[in-house]
Amino acid sequence: MERGVLGLDELICKARRYVVLMAGYDPGIHLGSSLSVLEIVAALYGTGRLKFNVANGAHNRNYFVLSKGHAIHAVYALAAAMGYLTVDELRETGSVGSRLQNHPEVDTPFVDVPNSGSLGQGISLAVGLALGLRLRGEPGRVYLVTGDGELDEGQSWESFAVAAHYGLNNLVTIVDLNNVQLDGHSEEVLRKGDLAGRFKSLGFEVFEVDGHDVAAIISALEKAENSAKPAVVIAKTVRGRGVPSIEDTAKQRLSRDEALSHVNNIC
Amino acid sequence: MLDLESLTPREALGRALSDLGDLRKDVVVLVADTGETTRARLFAERHPERFFNVGIAEQSLVGIAAGLALAGFMPYALTFAAFMTRAWEQSRNSVDRLGLPVRLVGTHAGFADAYDGPSHQALEDIALFRVLPNFTVLVPADSCEVYRAVTASASVKGPVYIRVGRDFHIPTTCGLYDRFEVGRAYVVLEGSDVAIFTTGITLPLAVEAAQVLRDRGISAAVVHFPTVKPLDYATVEKYAAATGAVLTVEEHMVHGGFGSAVAEYLAQTRPTKMAIMGLKSYGRTAKSPQELYQLFGLTPENIAARAEELVKLR
Repeated sequence: MERGVLGLDELICKARRYVVLMAGYDPGIHLGSSLSVLEIVAALYGTGRLKFNVANGAHNRNYFVLSKGHAIHAVYALAAAMGYLTVDELRETGSVGSRLQNHPEVDTPFVDVPNSGSLGQGISLAVGLALGLRLRGEPGRVYLVTGDGELDEGQSWESFAVAAHYGLNNLVTIVDLNNVQLDGHSEEVLRKGDLAGRFKSLGFEVFEVDGHDVAAIISALEKAENSAKPAVVIAKTVRGRGVPSIEDTAKQRLSRDEALSHVNNIC
Repeated sequence: MLDLESLTPREALGRALSDLGDLRKDVVVLVADTGETTRARLFAERHPERFFNVGIAEQSLVGIAAGLALAGFMPYALTFAAFMTRAWEQSRNSVDRLGLPVRLVGTHAGFADAYDGPSHQALEDIALFRVLPNFTVLVPADSCEVYRAVTASASVKGPVYIRVGRDFHIPTTCGLYDRFEVGRAYVVLEGSDVAIFTTGITLPLAVEAAQVLRDRGISAAVVHFPTVKPLDYATVEKYAAATGAVLTVEEHMVHGGFGSAVAEYLAQTRPTKMAIMGLKSYGRTAKSPQELYQLFGLTPENIAARAEELVKLR
């Protein structure tokens, strides 16, 4: 485990640079959100829980639902860091001809649910997928990553209640609690209440971790995977992590020069 | 042999799903606290392991159905048509954009739920699902056709919306044809002066109107379109050409529905005198759907009158 985490730190550093690099080429990407979720994505792909080289439609595997689809650049960046995408391809993100669209689309690589641009909907899809896997008797798990702002959507809680009601312990949810949404800090936009308490009251097992400590995330995932109940890992993160000028703000954009000069200063 | 005529439309729905569940192990049924009201219970009793109730939560209903489709199942999600449209954006983003084989069944459509008033009376659902590029839209007329449309829907590749009533229907289609084909219109009466096109429960009203017209010396064809999308363009074209006057009748708003689909086609291929009959406002609480048909003018007499006007305009 220790060795794996050490290896991951390098991957994460490389991926963080790639996220900023993409922001330099396409100011339309959701930079802050992709930077907050990076360690979470690395804890899933970097440990083999999820694989970049699995054909869509293959069975008996784990599935990934990035419900906060706007943070897809964290996945592209990690894929490049692990050798599954080229830097040239990263530079093309957001172009009409690129398969690296700015939200997961039908032709986007590495995503099992290619439509998670509309918030809350990935949660229902993940719950349906987990229900379906259980009905088929498949051993795979569904890893669902959501944002905290996304939890404003009533649909999120409609489907979490279903997961709890049907005891879907093959669903592992990770909340990227970066405390920022489009209009500002999450609690100021709309209070979230006691997030852990909301999940617990439905019947979830809740684990709270520092979302930039990859070893802590992995340890929480291990506990979540062994839970008899559906489990959620609430990962406290910093939006824009690694780029001081946008950290903990709703700011998503850097000028091209700023982004490209940053690439080499990160970690 | 199952006596479909004796069933109500929603009983025919429950029976069709239950029988489909015997034939296909990939069929799963989801409801939003509507197992009893949609008669999905009939499926649940026979296939309890493939039946899921998600509570009063239509957005979650459609999203979870889409997730089950991603896992390889063919989900039928059932709730009142009026509330299915609450999940329109989920139908767009979670179902249609992915072309998933999700079947959304909206029951109590049109004035079928006269008793609960306009909040429960879906008059916009055909328009809302028709606009989504991958959806097939089925609007059966009576219990026989509900059973056949639901059974046939299983062979459609992409998503399907099926519009079903509640208890009221006038059995008309049982002996009309042997096999329900998605995308095909059925000729009920031949005629040369005007063509009346129907979808859903308006079919028997149009048949009666044609008899009234015959007594007035007007020869009216009646063609029934249980599939609104894909529309049977060849039949639309044939009867528009043969009569030069097309009247559409639907239990739905006149904007965006079945009549609009016919008009869109004819305007671009064979401009034809047309009238679109349907609703222009919300419904009302009443003691029966028939009372609302009277109140809002969906009657054989009115259909005959509109057809007669069209014939004069030709």
